[in-house]
Amino acid sequence: MNHPQIAIFARSAKEDTPYLRSIEGQKSLLGRTMHDIAFDAIHDELVVTSPLAQAILSFRGAANGEEAPLRAIQGDKTQIKGVGATGKVSIDPIHNEIFLASPDQAILVFDRMANGNVAPKRILSGPDTQLSLGEQREGGGNVPCIRIDPIHNLLLVPVGGYGGGKVLIFDRTASGNTPPKAVIQGPVRMGNQFEIYAPKLRLITHTRNNIEIWKIPESGVSTEAPLKIPAPLGRQSGDIGIVLDPLHKEVIIATAAGNNIMTFSVPEVFDDWPAGGPLTSAAPVR
Amino acid sequence: MRVRRTKLECVILSAALVAIGVWAAPDRASRLVSVQQLPDGSDWCMADESSATNPSSPSPDEKILFSALRRDPYSTLVFAAQFTTPNVAEQERQAAEARAHGARTPVRTIRDTAPTYSAIAVDVNSNEVILQDNNLWEYLVFDRLAPTPTRSDEITQPKRIVKGDKTLIEFNNGLYVDPVSGDIFSVESDTGDKMVRFPRAAEGDVAPKAVLHTPHRVYNLAADEARQEIFATIEFPPQVVIYRKDASGEEKPLRTIEGDDTGLDAPHGIAVDEKDQLLFVSTWGHHSNFRIAGTGRWYPPAIKVYPLAAKGNVKPLRVITGDRTQLDWPAAMKFNPSNGDLYVANDIGQSVIVFANAAKLQGDVPPARVIHGPSTRLRNPTGVALDLTHQELWVSNLGNSSATVYPLMANGDVPPLRIIRSAEESKRGVNFGRTAAVTYDPIRQEILVPN
Repeated sequence: MNHPQIAIFARSAKEDTPYLRSIEGQKSLLGRTMHDIAFDAIHDELVVTSPLAQAILSFRGAANGEEAPLRAIQGDKTQIKGVGATGKVSIDPIHNEIFLASPDQAILVFDRMANGNVAPKRILSGPDTQLSLGEQREGGGNVPCIRIDPIHNLLLVPVGGYGGGKVLIFDRTASGNTPPKAVIQGPVRMGNQFEIYAPKLRLITHTRNNIEIWKIPESGVSTEAPLKIPAPLGRQSGDIGIVLDPLHKEVIIATAAGNNIMTFSVPEVFDDWPAGGPLTSAAPVR
Repeated sequence: MRVRRTKLECVILSAALVAIGVWAAPDRASRLVSVQQLPDGSDWCMADESSATNPSSPSPDEKILFSALRRDPYSTLVFAAQFTTPNVAEQERQAAEARAHGARTPVRTIRDTAPTYSAIAVDVNSNEVILQDNNLWEYLVFDRLAPTPTRSDEITQPKRIVKGDKTLIEFNNGLYVDPVSGDIFSVESDTGDKMVRFPRAAEGDVAPKAVLHTPHRVYNLAADEARQEIFATIEFPPQVVIYRKDASGEEKPLRTIEGDDTGLDAPHGIAVDEKDQLLFVSTWGHHSNFRIAGTGRWYPPAIKVYPLAAKGNVKPLRVITGDRTQLDWPAAMKFNPSNGDLYVANDIGQSVIVFANAAKLQGDVPPARVIHGPSTRLRNPTGVALDLTHQELWVSNLGNSSATVYPLMANGDVPPLRIIRSAEESKRGVNFGRTAAVTYDPIRQEILVPN
């Protein structure tokens, strides 16, 4: 990673469109490798990690150039651990909390306004949680992305790795050794990020070739298959990123090795589905 | 003109995000589309930082490959290429085929169609300039004396391009050219964890003549020609690894510099001073022990000076650091043995800074010369190369698909002598370097992309 910037583009940007601004440089405290990023539209801030320095950074939403973060969570009280494992971060802007998964098989929850060397406000961890977040290794070892549904008060945590596993669904405020209240049995394949569309209780991933839409159960174990929408990326790798633009009914994909950002129109993610599902299936390609 | 949003508008927009279902009017109901599901996952190359397997530990197949390379480096090269190929051509072909059969096509794609030049080298024997393209996974070879394009939309034509699945080139970031043979050494900053070596005349989609398995997160290269050793910086876990220059396969480093005393906090650029037997390493200051929670901290950027033969957990002899140094994401470095100058590509400083008498410097010292300003055409310079034969300084500009060349002793806001340009004159690159995450700002309707 030769230039760990955060580049900001107009939604309408296309090939060779320059970025509008970029957050970069020593003062930004940014470094490799940002495997996740979250925008807090209520407070107009963005949250990202600085993995090589075991830190969580919050910037102004309009941050530009060599700008310092508003806040940085870092230090021995934080329990932040790992490097690849520190690449993922999520925010609940409604309840003012930042979530970080740990290779110590724990979910750390910080106050959104935490700054400096502060302890997590709660920790979800223990054998009953069924958390299996991967282990920090010498060269890699990332934990999965986690997401919060602030409407239904859910915390979603994948387990089982990139090849596809379960998604554990906890109460948003779960702490200690609390079991999940629901499970998507899967296998749910995903890259670096997945997304949820809370109003419709849907989980969305891109699995290298298909966008998959899963129903999120609020209790019990769901074995329901996902809706699959073919959306191949061309040059890419497994570390795919994803975010939703509900207003325009678009799904935005970061292709990792493809070095590009692809926007797909996918109203199926956001719309009501008619009985039997929204799609008909054609014959396989091959 | 952008209308400044009020706080209330921001809150309303935010609420819209979580309650957007209300907006889904009946006339926006789902439509029937053709669906052809594609296979996912396991058959695709996945040698990246987040893969389920440890990139720094070779798979059983890789062990077999590298073992075979050691025994018979030539007959297995084709096999090597096939095994670790990035598989780009096949991925693109499958995507095109699927789209032709009804798969969804992106409505917009943000990408750079021009090269992103991460590193540069000069081969004075062939009078050629080599440029690493971190974006399109290739390196390009230009005539050293290629004139600056005259029209604003004109580009410089390369003499040769090395690109394709057989080359194994991915996210190539560090470059070294053997001053005798002209062999080109290339390392990558992510994914493949290897150094590939090509003969000077290599062209097209060709297999490297040697492949060396390296640690993950390599940044840059330098060499000690007297000892025939090649040095690589590893960003994290931070270290400098030193190999035989001819190393290949699974060959282990001759030695490493690593440990808490080294001060190698996110090492990047590296330069060798054979005359004074010194090693210069630039660091960005990100520090932590990944095995221990809460050990993260930041130090100021610095250039650390070690004995060239340093090994293990050694303290630097001297440290150049402080506001007066102007260091800001310091990238590649080169040392001029004829006068002791150390050249630093200073990415965010939009400059090349030159420290005179670098072997003796310590502390918060200003550079002796700073090449900076609009006339220089520098934009995110991350590569430097010295041509001592022709007394020229070459710079690769990550941010505008160009290489610019100056007199070796240039200072200030000086125009380049010549420019190699691979995009229009007004080019501003997107500087993507593996786009593995994304988020969206609904307030400004903007897409945020971290590298």
